[in-house]
Amino acid sequence: MQLLKKLKKASPGWFLLTAVIITMLLIPNVNIIINLFGEAGENWKHVRDYLLINYFQNSLVLVIATGLLAAFLGAGLAWLIAAYDFPGRNFLSWGLILPLAIPPYIGAYVYQGMFSYTGPLQTFLRNNLQINLNQKYFDFMNLKGAIFIYTIFLFPYVFLMTKAFLAKQSASLLESSRLLGKRDSTIFFKIILPLSRGAVVAGSSLVMMEVLNDYGVVKYFGISTFTTAIFKSWFGMGDLPTSVRLAVMAMLVIFVLLFLEKLLRGGRKYSYSTSNIRPLSRRKLEGSKKIMAQFFTYGIFFFGFLLPTAQLLYWSFLSRGGELIETFNFAFTSILIGSGAAVLILVGAIIIATTARMSSNFTSNILARITILGYSIPGAVIAVGILLFMLKLDEFLIFLQTGFGLGTNIILSSTLVMLIFAYAVRFMGIAFNSVNSGYEKIGESYFEASRTLGKGVTETFFKIDLPMLKPALMSGFLLVFIEIMKELPLTMILRPFNFDTLATKAFEYASDEMIYRAADLSLVLIFFSAAAIYLITHRSKRRKK
Amino acid sequence: MQLKINDLTFAYNKKEEKIIENFNLEVQKGEVVALVGVSGSGKSTVLRLTAGLEIPDSGQIIIAGQPVAGEHKFIAAEKREVGMVFQDYALFPHLSVEKNIAFGIDHLSKSKRKTRVKELLKLVNLEGFEKRYPHQLSGGQQQRIALARTLAPGPEILLLDEPFSNLDAELKDKIRKELNEIIKKIGITTILVSHDREDAEFMKAREILMN
Repeated sequence: MQLLKKLKKASPGWFLLTAVIITMLLIPNVNIIINLFGEAGENWKHVRDYLLINYFQNSLVLVIATGLLAAFLGAGLAWLIAAYDFPGRNFLSWGLILPLAIPPYIGAYVYQGMFSYTGPLQTFLRNNLQINLNQKYFDFMNLKGAIFIYTIFLFPYVFLMTKAFLAKQSASLLESSRLLGKRDSTIFFKIILPLSRGAVVAGSSLVMMEVLNDYGVVKYFGISTFTTAIFKSWFGMGDLPTSVRLAVMAMLVIFVLLFLEKLLRGGRKYSYSTSNIRPLSRRKLEGSKKIMAQFFTYGIFFFGFLLPTAQLLYWSFLSRGGELIETFNFAFTSILIGSGAAVLILVGAIIIATTARMSSNFTSNILARITILGYSIPGAVIAVGILLFMLKLDEFLIFLQTGFGLGTNIILSSTLVMLIFAYAVRFMGIAFNSVNSGYEKIGESYFEASRTLGKGVTETFFKIDLPMLKPALMSGFLLVFIEIMKELPLTMILRPFNFDTLATKAFEYASDEMIYRAADLSLVLIFFSAAAIYLITHRSKRRKK
Repeated sequence: MQLKINDLTFAYNKKEEKIIENFNLEVQKGEVVALVGVSGSGKSTVLRLTAGLEIPDSGQIIIAGQPVAGEHKFIAAEKREVGMVFQDYALFPHLSVEKNIAFGIDHLSKSKRKTRVKELLKLVNLEGFEKRYPHQLSGGQQQRIALARTLAPGPEILLLDEPFSNLDAELKDKIRKELNEIIKKIGITTILVSHDREDAEFMKAREILMN
């Protein structure tokens, strides 16, 4: 009976399916660690003695600086949007999420292009004002430039989480602080920041993981980090054992980050002593304050979305739309693989979340942890793990096939199967979170009512849970879809020969300084991501009404 | 004997205190019993254990002569023929009133199903509400539909979890009266849970105090 109780209401079928999926999610990570004990590659000694310190330094500087800047920017903006009213606030409350639609590597080449010697800014200064400035003022391709790019395009993670948190806070908190004679700036630093620390830290750790995951920006700017080093030792030197060792180092950095996050976030968890919470009412800004708030918020929107998009449009216009058919083909591939993989990932996430819901707290916590793990590990690291696994699997498949005299027809490495598997490892956590929060919103009584009316777990799932989960599934799908559309490192490493998405092709064109062609592809990519963001934000608004 | 509970013990969590310890109860066929107690006394948990929504740590539950929970035995909620009206009613929001009521009887033929739904709507005085959706009903109406849905498969026992807690005082009297009439009319064995002794008196139920 105790065992029965542990499994609680789970049915064995669901549990088995979940076990299979969870094992698959764990495989690449476990594989890396196993391979660590193999022989070191020929380049490892050189990498370790001369280069490793540089990878560490660069990665840490990028991660920490971006994490801090994004935290302040995101939290400040969230505060302005949540607590004040000014013209444009409604639009900006989702407009400030739009920078997420622009992948940082696209942002990087746009900004570089704009500020370069032949770019619009310097050309204008030179030709119209006869100003020739020292090129060092325009040098974007360094650590500072990368930090700027990451911050301006990734801060929305902090903005989103903090805004959602502040929307749940009580108005009396603010009002009593004001009545106690505190200025708004004091309230922000003394009350709001400490209170929303958890949300800010969570958002900013997402930003840091994205920075460690990024390949495009650092590659384009020529900065050596763990991700570029994994690429280089693998593709440049053909030295897989060295990539494995670098991947393990990157994982260690991640685990330190996760630990720090827990440390910063946990410990003190504030909660209200009453359940009667009146949401924040926004204070209307007037005069110079209104203008300052608008200047700041629109300014960030301008640099994070409007300016790069406008520049891309201009380039695209110069190339007269370029080769439409080619653009269409890449867009088609991207959308197909994005939506196909997103559906598969969502199915996996539904299975895990449904089992988690029926299991004890302990089990469901573990399931959640494992599912999220992939999102915190850089794509290049996951790619190494998956390739190692697939090569072994292929050996086995070939052994089987030749054993049955079937030739060697089925091989999985470097196929779409491998790429989709990799997407699943990396993005399952996002889908899982959506499904899970959907389940939390629904509660358990519908499920239980259906059970007492004579329906089993699976029938209840199809007749009750699934229809009620629809909104959560929709936003889960869109989130995963955007991520896959923008994804670069995994796709670059694991894609089949001659297979290109909007993201990989745009990056390739940009690296080859074919900036006009890159612009067309980037615009299509940004359009789809922005549309998805619009749908997500506006669906949830409608539901609230 | 319609329901027999022997030495039932249950805790939600191993580390937590036992919410029910060595609980015994016998209910005759057609009897109405009220479990009355403050919140945290475990009265709702008894209902959940009876319905099969929780698994007891030890003890035995026998429904209509059939052991449903005991040593090495656990019959799942969907196979117990126990009906439960939830505190928040739990009407499926994406299904119409008709489909909500028919949910538990979809093994019947279409025409039989239709007649049964009509019958139940008449019983709860909401004829003509077939095509409405839960959000278009008042709180009292929602409760009556939830009752109709629960009664549709013809359960052995009816469980009511705090049936009057979501209603305002004025409505409460009316609902108590109606509910009482319906239960008497079909003569179903009923266990209801309430924090208010007045409810038990009003329903002419055998009162069992829980501490």
